[in-house]
Amino acid sequence: MTLAHYLAVAALLFLVGLFGALTRRNIIGILMSIELMFNAANLNLAAFDRFLHPGGVAGQTLALFTITVAAAEVVVGLALLLAIYRGAGTVYVEDYNLLKG
Amino acid sequence: MLNLSLLTPALALAGLALLILLADMLLPRGRERWLAHLAWISCAGVLCLLVRGLGDPAALGRGTLWTVDPFSQFFQTATVLAAMLCLLLSLDYRDLPRRQAGSFSALMLLSVSGLMLLTAAHDLLLIFISLELVSLSSFILAGFERSHPKSNEGAMKYFLFGAFASAVMVYGISLYYGAAGTTRLDAGAPPDPLLILSLLLILLGFGFKASLAPMHFWVPDAYEGAPTPVTAFLSIAPKIATFALLLRVYGAFFPAGRYGLQALLGLLAALTMTIGNFTAFFQNDVKRLLAYSSIAQAGYLMIGLAVGTPLGLQGAMFYSFVYAAMNVGCFAVVQAVGREGGYGLDAFNGLAKRSLGLSLAMAFCLLSLAGIPPLAGFIGKLYIFAAAVESGQYALAVIGVLNSVASVYYYFRIAQRMFLREAKGEPAALAVGPYVYGSLAAAVAGVLLLGVHPEPLIAGVRASARLLP
Repeated sequence: MTLAHYLAVAALLFLVGLFGALTRRNIIGILMSIELMFNAANLNLAAFDRFLHPGGVAGQTLALFTITVAAAEVVVGLALLLAIYRGAGTVYVEDYNLLKG
Repeated sequence: MLNLSLLTPALALAGLALLILLADMLLPRGRERWLAHLAWISCAGVLCLLVRGLGDPAALGRGTLWTVDPFSQFFQTATVLAAMLCLLLSLDYRDLPRRQAGSFSALMLLSVSGLMLLTAAHDLLLIFISLELVSLSSFILAGFERSHPKSNEGAMKYFLFGAFASAVMVYGISLYYGAAGTTRLDAGAPPDPLLILSLLLILLGFGFKASLAPMHFWVPDAYEGAPTPVTAFLSIAPKIATFALLLRVYGAFFPAGRYGLQALLGLLAALTMTIGNFTAFFQNDVKRLLAYSSIAQAGYLMIGLAVGTPLGLQGAMFYSFVYAAMNVGCFAVVQAVGREGGYGLDAFNGLAKRSLGLSLAMAFCLLSLAGIPPLAGFIGKLYIFAAAVESGQYALAVIGVLNSVASVYYYFRIAQRMFLREAKGEPAALAVGPYVYGSLAAAVAGVLLLGVHPEPLIAGVRASARLLP
């Protein structure tokens, strides 16, 4: 396994996430796709840390922070989703059309 | 060197936010309003702390992840000032859930302390964390009127775009780490393709916060749905702090000229101005109209960055300070009018008969946004366009001037309704709270004084346009 393998997997993961975030209609699905994108970044950081800068901690530190922040982000997102679901009764983005112009 | 003491103002504000959260649990019911007062007083205190440190060599220096230089002090002062005025506005805003005044104030303060860290950060780790601190608190603030479907929807759209942009940005940061071997921005990495790609992805994340053109779709929805004081806050504080960050990263650490990004930044500036202004023509909701106007204003600020000269830097700094005053003024009036009549343009019909002072204040702020002399906005635009001409970027200057001319149309649409149209029925006097008057007075005083007598601010900007390496 070389660095290129890890980077390829991460890039693939990022693209899958990007595609999902842009095409999904269900908010839970979009959230999951965004998580994939965050994890692609984490994989990149860990791989660079291991292969290019062994002994360095900056990449791992950043990955730890990313994991934490992504979790916090999901918490806020699900809370907002719950609030909007109570009112609108749907989790599909195309049904949220009060605001336009 | 750790030098944590450099961040005292930001950390003090964060500490006060946590204190407010704690006090929220201990205070008896019905006293939550004290916390809202405590919030703006904390902002005022931190502002005093910041102003005392201006030009004080002991307050400047480098830490492990942060650099406090005159430049960051300038933007911190502007951000805290704007946030204080928005907190004052929120004291007179009726639709916020009363019982949650404590968490509202705490979130505002946390967001401001994130912005203060952002202006001083020189490491992508701190940039990422403070940007997320700002984003997460603003997502919640935008959806604070939970019983209001529009507020929920605006917050949801804001959240989806925000999370997407920060995921792309983090991927960019991970590539930067691979290319430069560190998350520090001052590594002086050579412009190889991987680094350029990472800089582009990071720009996308920053551009989302600063509402630059291809990343601006959330702006009108979030601004229309959010409670008005929060809209005022979102349109000012995160935008100017992100511009400080953009100026630091793409102006000082990675000069756009050396990394071949100059054309892209110019294109973004032109696109942002044009899309903002030309979409604003067709809006019938004041908050939405001002949202598009704020996108256009971000475009003017972007010219200062795209030019990349010291004069452009000073222009962007001057304009962001003035922009804060103009937008606080506009949103104060919008809040006062919207309390009874809603946020449609029709609510402004015959406002001059109901409250001449309010309509004059609104007119001054709008004319200043349009860049009409002798108001502050004119001096700011002059500064920026002069920088573009001086560096030979005539195309940007011409597009900027054409855009300001076009923008006069939609700003005058509001003015025309206030002064020339009749309100439906008998014009009733408008009830305006004392805090709205207070922050409106401060904003209008800024717009007028900086217009006729801009020298003190220009001198301040010149002294502050100094970035430590």
